[in-house]
Amino acid sequence: MIDKTNRRDFLKQSATVAAGTLILPQLIPSTALGMGGKLAPSDRIVMGCIGVGGQGTNNLRSFLWSKEVQFVAVCDVDTNHTDSAKAIIDKINKNSDCRTYGDYREFLEKEKIDAVSIALPDHWHGLIYSAAANKKLDIYGEKPLARTIQDGRAIVSAVKKNNVVWQTGSWQRSGKMYRRAAELAINGRVGKITRVEVGLPDGDSIIGTPPVMEVPAGLNWDMWLGPAPKVPYRGVCHGDWRWTLDYSGGRLTDWAGHHVDIAAWGIGMDRTGPVEIEGMGIYPLEGLYNTPVEFDFTCKYANGIEMRVATGSRLRFNTGAAWFGEKGWIHVDRDGGLLHASNPKILEEVIGENEIQLYKSNNHFWNFLECVRSRGETVCPVEVGHRSISIGLLGEIAMTTGQKIKWDPIKEEIIGSSVASRLLSRPYRRPWIQPTI
Amino acid sequence: MKKQYLLILAFTGIIAILNACNFGGHYKALVVTGQNNHNWKTSSPILKQLLEQTGLFTAEIIKTPEKGGDMNTFNPDFSKYDVVVLDYSGDSWSEKTKSAFIEYVDNGGGVVVYHAADNSFPEWKQYNQMIGLGWGRTEKDGPYVYYSRANNKRDEEKIIDISPGKGGSHGKRHEFEVKTRLEEHPIMKGLPVKWFHGKDELYSTLRGPAKNMDILATAYADTSQGGTGRNEPILMTTSYGKGRVFHTVLGHADQGGGPAMECVGFIVTFQRGAEWAASGKVTQKVPYDFPNAVCVSLRTHFKEITLEDDLAKIPTYELNKSTKYFVNLQNRIRAEGKSLDKLMVFEKMMIKILENKDATVEAKKLLLHEISWLGSDLSIPVVRELAKNPELKESADYALARLQPVN
Repeated sequence: MIDKTNRRDFLKQSATVAAGTLILPQLIPSTALGMGGKLAPSDRIVMGCIGVGGQGTNNLRSFLWSKEVQFVAVCDVDTNHTDSAKAIIDKINKNSDCRTYGDYREFLEKEKIDAVSIALPDHWHGLIYSAAANKKLDIYGEKPLARTIQDGRAIVSAVKKNNVVWQTGSWQRSGKMYRRAAELAINGRVGKITRVEVGLPDGDSIIGTPPVMEVPAGLNWDMWLGPAPKVPYRGVCHGDWRWTLDYSGGRLTDWAGHHVDIAAWGIGMDRTGPVEIEGMGIYPLEGLYNTPVEFDFTCKYANGIEMRVATGSRLRFNTGAAWFGEKGWIHVDRDGGLLHASNPKILEEVIGENEIQLYKSNNHFWNFLECVRSRGETVCPVEVGHRSISIGLLGEIAMTTGQKIKWDPIKEEIIGSSVASRLLSRPYRRPWIQPTI
Repeated sequence: MKKQYLLILAFTGIIAILNACNFGGHYKALVVTGQNNHNWKTSSPILKQLLEQTGLFTAEIIKTPEKGGDMNTFNPDFSKYDVVVLDYSGDSWSEKTKSAFIEYVDNGGGVVVYHAADNSFPEWKQYNQMIGLGWGRTEKDGPYVYYSRANNKRDEEKIIDISPGKGGSHGKRHEFEVKTRLEEHPIMKGLPVKWFHGKDELYSTLRGPAKNMDILATAYADTSQGGTGRNEPILMTTSYGKGRVFHTVLGHADQGGGPAMECVGFIVTFQRGAEWAASGKVTQKVPYDFPNAVCVSLRTHFKEITLEDDLAKIPTYELNKSTKYFVNLQNRIRAEGKSLDKLMVFEKMMIKILENKDATVEAKKLLLHEISWLGSDLSIPVVRELAKNPELKESADYALARLQPVN
């Protein structure tokens, strides 16, 4: 975490660079200068992207707001994606030098860069996040951290082992009102917290039973599937992969990386996990989509706090994170910046110097870039990203098996159910090999 | 001719035996019909069937005289029943019968108001109180009640609207989403909060006294379907004296019942509502084919899909066919997966299909995925065998990776 003086310098320097449009980009990555990953303040951070579909492109554009970065290469299994991302980058760079790849292994082998922005379907996270960390790249990686808890732990282990900077795309952590809400909760402004309710959007995507189709031009379907089971192309790919369990856990795992993440932050449980998880899911009755449309499960923590995670329409406040304490409640949600409490005065409370101050970041992407320079920890480090999605994934296991799951958050093991334990990972399709811890 | 007659006789006999077998019915239900601006000749026997299907009810149908007939002849002894189901909209009953009905409800009798029954008796004050809201009522009888999002408010809330006007309308018939408003009510507990209902009329702008009334569920009446743009009450309960009333506006009868009556959402809320009206509690399980926010679910001939159906249909699965029998099996597993013994029962059923030479490759792929997590050593030989089939090798390897991990 950088102190205020450094931040001011950083911002000032960013402004200088932004103003000086004639400054030539520094294309030599710091690693090539033998600086052990530490960037000189005058250097720009050289970056690439893996996965430049919808969210990958959004993230690219967000990074491009900063003149601190220089993008030089993109990788995607769809040439339509790489073409359009290259066009964005070349326009900014005023050249046609952005390199494109269809295979991340080649990208990682050839590109000498400082950092990478990765936005892929969840089933690819385990392999590619780990591989990028093993190449000593700092990583901005989309949430949820992984499709399975075992993949997640492997990513954490690779990031820690290689000592790279990691930011999970749980950007609400850099939103002022989420931090404010979590800070009020964790400092007991509604008394001792007894329970938390987390409402995620309802699942409502419908596709039915589409026929097998021709793979669209430019898409490498087998590579898109990667470690997931081989299936014929039926129109489910970019943008709508989230509703198929082979690639994602649906709304639950999509949004656990947001509201669950914030909720756990506000009870100081974001680097550990619950000890008991029980609940139910309601699934589509037929069709290609098979992620739950409604879910409702409760996690118990060792300290007795209960976290209920459910589709919003089942809860009092609908979506968002709500902390209930002995003296009232606080609720925060997107919805145009909603932060409210049982008593409005709670929201005016000042957090004293000797109280818990949560990490302050006002821009998720800039926070990552700051940390790439400072080598400090980001606002949503890899362990936190892993623990946030673990709650969603444990909920998924509880729903799949119908069992009450007993969880050891230290060893990360399910206690007493061998069948449920099998769901901590998903077998990889050859030739892909699951990353190990 | 004679043969045909014998056949009918035999058939009736079988039905009688079947009915006699249904000795679980400890509540007595009376379906009142005989006049309706709707197709009561279709709906009433279906309602009777649905009640008896639960194993909780024995049901009788009683018909009033036809329109304009002598209503003095309609004198049922309501007090013999636990629940009276009203599939009636027509001539006013005699004062004596009305009094008997009020007394029945007042003393704790249960009532189910089905669809157009809320069109009936607009002048009967006590009836209006029982049904809460209805058609043909005006501002004299009570407000419009619905849910809507007030200006600048985040959540929809209940609106009591006293503006003058006539009660009752509906747009075009369409499939619509029903949303639970009282999750903890025994009738609603355990149901999806949102579910799609089969093509039906969406009753709107109902009005009435709305006293002692709980709205259990609403549906948004889309303006594109000629609706009001409000969330209209769809399922309600009221209390009258000691009596309980369940009011469903769903279930417009087409020939043979049609999608509105075949909808599992209609069937199940009707069955649960009837039990609640009779007893104040609901003991019925939510079936696996209950619709949800993405799927309408209809029961052909009002029959629930059995495990036997699932097991018979799964082996014929192809990519272009419905996965519903497989999902049904998955839902059974989710509901009963707590017990390892039960999991093994399911495992054995799946092994049988995996060993079945006529079962499709696609069916086996689905099952191998499922067996991968719930299987035991029992499955390993058959999965290994399937791994020799090039079409199934990947799926079998997937299962084996979980069933017998290398380390």
